Amino acid sequence: MRILRLLLTLLASGFVPSLSRADNLLPPTLPLEQVVDHYVDARLKEEGITPAPPADDATFLRRVTLDLTGRIPTLDETRTFTASTSSNKRVELVERLMNSPGFVRHQATEFDTMLMNGTRGSVRPYLLTALGENRSWDRIYRDLMLPDESDPKQKPAAELLRQRVRDLDKLTAEVSSIFFGVNVSCARCHDHPLVADWKQDHFFGMKSFFSRTYESRGQLAERETGLVKFKTTKGVERQARLMFLTGKVIETNTLKETPGDKAKKRRKKEKDNSGPPPAPPKFSARAELVKVSLQPSQRAFFARSIVNRVWHRLFGYGLVMPLDQMHSANDPSHPDLLDWLARDVIEHQYDLRRLIRGLVFSRAYARDSRWEKGNAPRPQLFAVARVKPLTPMQLAVSLRLAVTDPQQVAATLKPEEFDKRLQGLESSAGGIARLFDQPGDDFQVGVSEALLFSNGDRIQKDLLTDGGDRLLGRLKQLKNGDEVIDLTVRTIFCRPPRDEERKLLADYLKQRADRPAEALRQMVWALLTSAEFRFNY
Amino acid sequence: MAPNRRFCGSPLHAMDRRGFLGAAAAGAAAFAADMTQLNVLQHPALAGELKKQQKRCILLWLAGGASQLETFDPKPGAPTGGPFRAIPTSVPGIHISELMPQMAKRMKHSCIIRSLNTRIGDHGGGAKMMMRGRRDEPNLNYPDLGAVLARELGRPDSQVPDYVSFYFATEGRGSAPGSAGFLGSRYAPMDLYTSMIPENIHRLDGINDLDHKQRGELRDQLSKQFARGRSSSSLGSHTEAYQRVRGLMASEKLFDASQEPPKVRDKYGPTLFGEQVMVARRLIEAGVPFVRVGRAWWDSHGQNFETHQEMVPELDHVMSALIDDLQDRGLLEHTLIITLAEFGRTPRINPSLGRDHFATAWSTTLTGCGIQGGSVYGKTDANGEHVAEGEVGAAELFATIYRALGINHQKNYYVGSRPVPLTEPGTKPIKAVLA
Repeated sequence: MRILRLLLTLLASGFVPSLSRADNLLPPTLPLEQVVDHYVDARLKEEGITPAPPADDATFLRRVTLDLTGRIPTLDETRTFTASTSSNKRVELVERLMNSPGFVRHQATEFDTMLMNGTRGSVRPYLLTALGENRSWDRIYRDLMLPDESDPKQKPAAELLRQRVRDLDKLTAEVSSIFFGVNVSCARCHDHPLVADWKQDHFFGMKSFFSRTYESRGQLAERETGLVKFKTTKGVERQARLMFLTGKVIETNTLKETPGDKAKKRRKKEKDNSGPPPAPPKFSARAELVKVSLQPSQRAFFARSIVNRVWHRLFGYGLVMPLDQMHSANDPSHPDLLDWLARDVIEHQYDLRRLIRGLVFSRAYARDSRWEKGNAPRPQLFAVARVKPLTPMQLAVSLRLAVTDPQQVAATLKPEEFDKRLQGLESSAGGIARLFDQPGDDFQVGVSEALLFSNGDRIQKDLLTDGGDRLLGRLKQLKNGDEVIDLTVRTIFCRPPRDEERKLLADYLKQRADRPAEALRQMVWALLTSAEFRFNY
Repeated sequence: MAPNRRFCGSPLHAMDRRGFLGAAAAGAAAFAADMTQLNVLQHPALAGELKKQQKRCILLWLAGGASQLETFDPKPGAPTGGPFRAIPTSVPGIHISELMPQMAKRMKHSCIIRSLNTRIGDHGGGAKMMMRGRRDEPNLNYPDLGAVLARELGRPDSQVPDYVSFYFATEGRGSAPGSAGFLGSRYAPMDLYTSMIPENIHRLDGINDLDHKQRGELRDQLSKQFARGRSSSSLGSHTEAYQRVRGLMASEKLFDASQEPPKVRDKYGPTLFGEQVMVARRLIEAGVPFVRVGRAWWDSHGQNFETHQEMVPELDHVMSALIDDLQDRGLLEHTLIITLAEFGRTPRINPSLGRDHFATAWSTTLTGCGIQGGSVYGKTDANGEHVAEGEVGAAELFATIYRALGINHQKNYYVGSRPVPLTEPGTKPIKAVLA
């Protein structure tokens, strides 16, 4: 009864994020990017703020190439794009990038980080297949939560659960955070101190969906029954029910513990590694979670969380921050926009491509990242583009690409050949990528990174050699100092040099006229380690 | 983020800081921009200011779990007591193991806490608990003591590292890594695992020193143009990290034990532990706020008494040398020395004449800065099996350490919008331990 009362209270308090305001939202037929700009601009107008102007072509190209394919653009890509006079060129660019195989690879890396950060495992092999087929987000969620390990193509998906199955608290907390944008772990020991939404019942209700999952014979398995008990702060022992975050309870008669003797036998059997894998249960609590969380009346958490996470990745700041604090005491910056996007993602079968495509077409995404007049407005207004630190793979691949002779990745290559070379760079980048930290919110670059770049043997050997296939190899051949500077800046910074840079770099080279090879290497180093290279801006 | 992210926030403290930073800025102008040496130390006014203002901490990490019974809480004559005697110390009424005669003479500087009950008895869990003072949450990794002190006591633009950790032994290293947790890599430890000199601190042969410096300046100028009109704390940290490179490279000498006169080296003795503790002193003297020196491996499940007969005298000797050295330099009152491990050892002696993991009633010592020296806090029962008086958990110990170093133990950090206090709400420092 208590649970029912709780549920009623929650409903009455208007907490269950519903899409009930749908009547007042912009029509679902409008293009996604227009809706983004409508709501973002409305808020800016309310605050009396004129947003930053649009980013120039070179900046937009670099930003969107990094976001969609995880690397900086090549010299030829920059030249072609900035020279193009097509009125539709940004749309064409986004289409081209999203249709390239690099898009799937980069998205797989990004989603893998989101799903597996903090574990030692990876679901990237699965994601490559799934995203390659443009599988919908709800389908991916189902594959990850209910992996069919007998299918070799699906087996890698099991890593999400397998990496966490030995710590059910972690599994419960991280699944809630990743898929529903809710951190229930504060409610493990006590009702959440600040957020009325989260009670111990929520944490243990969610845990009940996972408590029957275990690993046996190298495979995930699930028991028929199971009961999670917990103590309230007042010391009262309670039995948890299968309860979703909304308070929705799954009625079942499988909430029981195995009696003592049987439990012993059962544990022995679970540990026994011979024989065929255990049969799946007739009633799967985990499958119930998947089912309930996608029901029309319950799916708001799921839809809003993926919208917020994808938005956060592209804009560098979520509509709700932090990403795992989507609750009634933490309003979105643009409630109607989040509602509209959540409705849209549901109506379009959780199509991630549609969402990503729409967001990068918005004017809000394409603003300049400089704010020249006084203090920049708060990030949640999206008045100016965020400066985002590159992820380890973005940085490592971009470094590799920047030190490659532009001829090696020229526009004249066939698309298949171009992609093969990119794949080569990506696979050779893995080693360097491991030397960097994955940025979180408020990421701080550590001094170990600066020391590594300044004095690391690895950097010297991997990035600063001047063989024939390298940028430094090409620069060596050039006679004219201007050309050297032009090619260096265009290749590494993906834009033409400014006058003051020309002078700065020319002076640097001139002072080292007696040792030109070193001078070039030092100049390339200075560009690779500069803030402009380290961030997506 | 918290509005005042680096300091404890008391107005007095802020004044001192400003005074200090002002002096540093004024001093810096007098120096060549490049720091080929640690100029701060050579500027008498600054060095003096440093000594007066900055608090620091050396953690002697007794990896594997040293026995309280063979060190600071002997139980001679008890069935659990083992073969060693207890000896009186320079403080009437306080006795410690006969394996520590030198510390017995220096008892007036130290406080022994004999009543730790920290509950976690496995190496990994215990080490995490005793380095962080609390358990991680599934979605929140806490910074350890070193990272917190690096942030609270270090200077943002410091030219020296602010968290250095020596741990050469392979035993237990993986289960006791330093971690900046949610504070991020800015405060991560500079780990020394195999070499006394930190990684990547040495200029490569392929570039001369002047080019190395000017290459860095070129980098700075390019970055400065980029930063115009752009602001983010990540961007700021990138600039800061590179600004610290040359200073850190200049600090290479700090790690060089041979820079110390033979007289000082002799005092610490010829062991690796002695040398590392001596280098720890060099570091904190130069302004490094926190150094951990890991000494392994105390995990004496068998032959407990031989192990301790060998290792305790070394600890006794090195710790005493450190106390003397700090005192001679006028640094002891600004430096907190902690001996701590993941847990202590069982009073019960097992059939292999060993003692096993024991987190129920064990000891730690605090020496120097902010500590009531010559004191004992808490008590275990006759056989050392339980805490009899003044039980102390990891949280209270950490609150006490923070207070001894002048840090508000209830200060909040912000993880996103969520306030995270340095110690759990309601935790109280142990007043009797504090000076």
